[in-house]
Formats: sequence, C-alpha cells, structure tokens
Amino acid sequence: MKGYYGEFGGQYVPETLIPALEELEDSVDRICSDDEFHREFSSYLKDYVGRPSPLTCAKRLSDYYGLHVWLKREDLNHTGSHKINNAIGQILLARRMGKTRIIAETGAGQHGVATATVCALFGMACVVYMGSEDMRRQRMNVERMRLLDAEIVPVRTGTATLKDATSEAIRDWVANVDSTYYLLGSAVGPHPYPTMVRRFQQVIGEEARQQILEKTGDLPDAVIACVGGGSNAIGIFSAFVDDPVALIGVEAYGDGNGHNGASINFGIPGVLHGARSHLLQDENGQIKDTHSVAAGLDYPGVGPQHSYLAATRRARYELVDDRQALDAFRLLNRLEGIAPALESAHAVGFLRQYAPGHEGETVIVNLSGRGDKDLHTVLGERS
Amino acid sequence: MIEHAIRKTSKAVIPYITAGLPDLDTTGEIIEALSGAGAAAIEIGLPFSDPMADGPVLQKASHMALGAGFTMEAFNAHLRGWSSSVAVPLIIMSYINPIMRHGVDKTLRGFAEAGIQGVIIPDLPSDGREVFDLCDSIGIDLIRLVAPTTTQKRQQEVVSQCSGFVYAVSVKGVTGARQNLPEEVSSQVQRIKSMTDLPVCVGFGISTAEQVSDMLAFADGVIVGSFLMERIMNASDPASAAREAFAGLMCA
Repeated sequence: MKGYYGEFGGQYVPETLIPALEELEDSVDRICSDDEFHREFSSYLKDYVGRPSPLTCAKRLSDYYGLHVWLKREDLNHTGSHKINNAIGQILLARRMGKTRIIAETGAGQHGVATATVCALFGMACVVYMGSEDMRRQRMNVERMRLLDAEIVPVRTGTATLKDATSEAIRDWVANVDSTYYLLGSAVGPHPYPTMVRRFQQVIGEEARQQILEKTGDLPDAVIACVGGGSNAIGIFSAFVDDPVALIGVEAYGDGNGHNGASINFGIPGVLHGARSHLLQDENGQIKDTHSVAAGLDYPGVGPQHSYLAATRRARYELVDDRQALDAFRLLNRLEGIAPALESAHAVGFLRQYAPGHEGETVIVNLSGRGDKDLHTVLGERS
Repeated sequence: MIEHAIRKTSKAVIPYITAGLPDLDTTGEIIEALSGAGAAAIEIGLPFSDPMADGPVLQKASHMALGAGFTMEAFNAHLRGWSSSVAVPLIIMSYINPIMRHGVDKTLRGFAEAGIQGVIIPDLPSDGREVFDLCDSIGIDLIRLVAPTTTQKRQQEVVSQCSGFVYAVSVKGVTGARQNLPEEVSSQVQRIKSMTDLPVCVGFGISTAEQVSDMLAFADGVIVGSFLMERIMNASDPASAAREAFAGLMCA
C-alpha cells in the first residue's frame, strides 16, 4: 500500500493536513525525475556542505578493539552533522512549491541549526520548535539559531523534548498550511516524509560504499549507526541493504533502568506523529516519557522503515546506555582526536559490545555529528 | 440514533468533554448535567498524551486527566452507566493510538456494546477501510471530519465514509476558542450538504452564544469543546459549571 513499509508508515494525520501531504507527494514525485533538481541539490552538497565527507580510517581505535574501523565523517559537514543534507534537499523543494515560511522541530538542535542555516541561505522566514528542556541542554545551538535569524519557540508541554516540539510544529503546520513548509528533520512522520528524508540522506551510504570499495577493495562486514528517529542510519543503511553486510542500529538505552529512547527494543507498534512504527507506550496507549543523555535520541518513536527492517530482520537494533556513550565520547577524543556528538557516540560505543568474536572485521561507523554542542553535558557528567 | 437526535431539534449543540477530569464519576455527573441542559448529543474525549489536533486548553485537559490516573479499563467500565443514564446519544472521540493499543476491533465492539453510538478518530487514515467496515457492521456511527483545506474530490470520499453526521472543521488550525470564525464556513457547509443527506455540524473555535446561532443559520448542529472544558477545569463544582456554561451558549 502507498506510503507503507510492510505494516509500518501511513498517513495518520488530521484531515486539514491531508491535502498538504498530497501536494508534497506530488512535488516529491516531480523532483525525482527532474535532472535540474538533482544538479542543484548535488551542487549545494558539494560547494556549500563540503561533500563528499571523508571516510577516515580510525587506526588507534581499530587497534584498541582489534577491528578495522572506518568513520563516515558527517561531523565534518557544514553545520556539524548529517542534518544539513536533508535540510538542503527540502528547502530546494519548498522553494519549488512556492512556500515562504519554514517551520521545523529540533531535539539536539542540529536539525534546527541546519534548517535555520538553509533559511538564511535562501532568505526564508524560519520558526524552530524546541523543547525547553532541550534548550537548556543545548544552549549553544539555541544561540546559533538566533544568530541565523530563526525564531525559537520554546515548547513546555509534556516532557519538553523532541516529541513535544514535533507535536507543536505539526500544530503550527495545521494552522498555517497554505504558506508554510514543514521541514521535518528525521525519517519519521506521515508519508511521504520518511521516504523523502531517506532520499536526501542516502548520499551518506552511496559515498561510504564507494569509498570503502576504493580503500579496501571490499564491502564492510558491518555498518553501525545510532537511531533516534533514524535518518542518519537509514541514509547509510540504504546503500548496503542489498549487500551481504550486517546493518546495526544503536538505540539509546538511557539510564539502563527503564528510562530510555529504545523504541524498537522496548516499544510496541503504534501511531505517533502521523505514522505507525515501534513506539514506547504504556498499557493505555499513552506515549511514555523517554530519556537519553543525547537529546537527538530522546524520542519515543522511530522511522517506519527501521521498524520494517527490524521486523524483517534485515537490520538489528542494539543498546548503548548513557554511561557507555559518554565513555565512547572520551575514547574517540583520546584515540582519534575526534569529538563525536553524543548521539553518534552511541554508535561508537557499540564497538565495545561488537568487538568480541568479530576480531579482524571491517566496520563502518556513521559519525553523524560533532560533539562541540555536548561539551558542557560531558563536563557536567564528570563533576 | 445520532442523526435523528440532531434533526429533531432546531438548536443542536453537541458539547465535548474530556473524560476523567477530575475523575470518571464526575464525568458521569457532567454528562447528566449537559443532557439535562439540552445537549443534542455528547462527545466524550479520551485523553491522549500527544493530541496533535488540539490547542492548549484540550491539551491541558488531556494531561490533567492522565495525571489524575485515567485508565482505559476504568473508562470502559463506566461507559454502560453513562449511556443508560441519559437519553441523548454518546459519541467517543479518541486518537487512534489508545484504540489500537487495545485492539481496534475489541475496543470499538466494547464501545458499541456499552451503548456508545458514534466515534470520532481525528487521525484515522482514509485507507482505514477495515475500520469503516467494522463500524458499519457493529452499528456504531463513524463521524469523519472535513477541513477547510479538503479538496472537493476528497470531500466526496470522506463524506461517503461517514455516518451519523459530517463534522465540518471551521478553521485551519487546532481546537480552541476563536473570536472570529472564517466567512467561508457557510459555503463549506453548503457544499457538503449538496453531497449528502447526513446532517452537517460545525466544530473548532466556537465559544459564544452568538457564534452558535450564527452557525446554526446554515449548519445542522455545532460542537463546543475548549470553551466548556476551560470552565469545567477551573470549577469547584464541574457539573454545575458545565450546565451553566452550556446554558449560556444556548441562550442567544
């Protein structure tokens, strides 16, 4: 059925948004076969974002674990994460659709910064919804967005995190649907968002696949990426999905004691933010409070394609807790001179579990973002 | 029967209340009070943690009800008592996730067996044929929403999936009282009426007796939610507050 991955996905939205989603779907279909769009998108990725991002051989980390570890360096993109790939794609689409006002939700602030950046680049009005708890945790990104002339709307409802910011962005969209384009940051939400976001992020996997073949002459044994909503993971997985390569998503295990963001591991299929996927919910069908030290993984749902990859066992989804992510953050600083975002540190942190029994294997870790934004969280944890 | 309940009065006003606020026994008292005050039907909202189509008042109502310990089990246990205590039809409004969590089939059958006559599921997708068929077979009305943005072609489709009445959403936006309602509501309602014999009721944003009578000039009924809940939430005697607020809406 249209807009579904198996039994996951769909368009579970208020009626007011249906025509907007249909319009979006038509526009996405049009750009798929539009060479001019592809040229424009590629040119911004190259000359503005700085793609292709390198695939770095992590020599000392490899020695440490007895693996061959390669890092896909999305942290080196302009604005510091993979989020910019999708933001560029969608803003080019929004311009073609004649929209004048852009709204977005943000958790860690990376998608907010990416959106505010492309809005500055194209002179569009930008409103970013952000949970007040996340604003506290990610102060630096809030200031960056303000410098970029974006209006930040604090969201104080619920847990005041990404989930609530997303609900509030959807409410804004319902009210301003004629003028406004909702630039959704992850591979979640109603059809066609999950598919569209994957399309704009699959450049990560296409590059990584080509780079590893050039550098090693072979495919990797495994590709590892962190999963909140799952856009960086689906971006890198999609190029390897037909290859004999293990695809491993790493979910946030939070405090390891029931407070986490691990929707696939602990969730039950349900509907949030317009799509059916694994969802952290209680026995009454109410969405549960989540927790992760990484704001970008602090989300009770997950992209429908990940639910499908899990259900069909094409990918597996593992757990790394706050402490292990913080350890990985320090380890990567010490051994490779790279500060990963705390989200990406979950993917790095999984190597400790993966290494035993997999010695000598080649793995690619998607380093989806840089950790400058997380310094005060990490330093706070130490004291 | 919902359709009949709306048709038989020239002033069909349908109040919306969030269940479980401050508790389910009080919800029962509010239902009786509203029925006594002349409600044509009563819409009972099942609280949800993430109500995407609701404005600040109904979000707050949902969170307060959940905070007060709302459970689906207790809700289901109260339904029969509520439906047998009043003569007017009861309609349940719920986002799809709580219904799905307990099984769509089981939940909707339970509603029907407890005497609930209609359901409104604002985020039910239009490919939800199984749900349409189920409602049809168990004899519960499925009330669908038509928005100001809904295209004419889609209106036809939505209206054909609908029973009980057609819910015309007055504004582009979420629920919540508005001072001014758009002029286009009247033509929107006329257009829907040309497609169906079902009653057409207008909801979202209505908060004054004047708005009620303005809407009733062309619509078959109106739905009032946030305005009532704001008064109920702040009252020491919620049932009396509901009765008074509702009576105020009826007196223009």
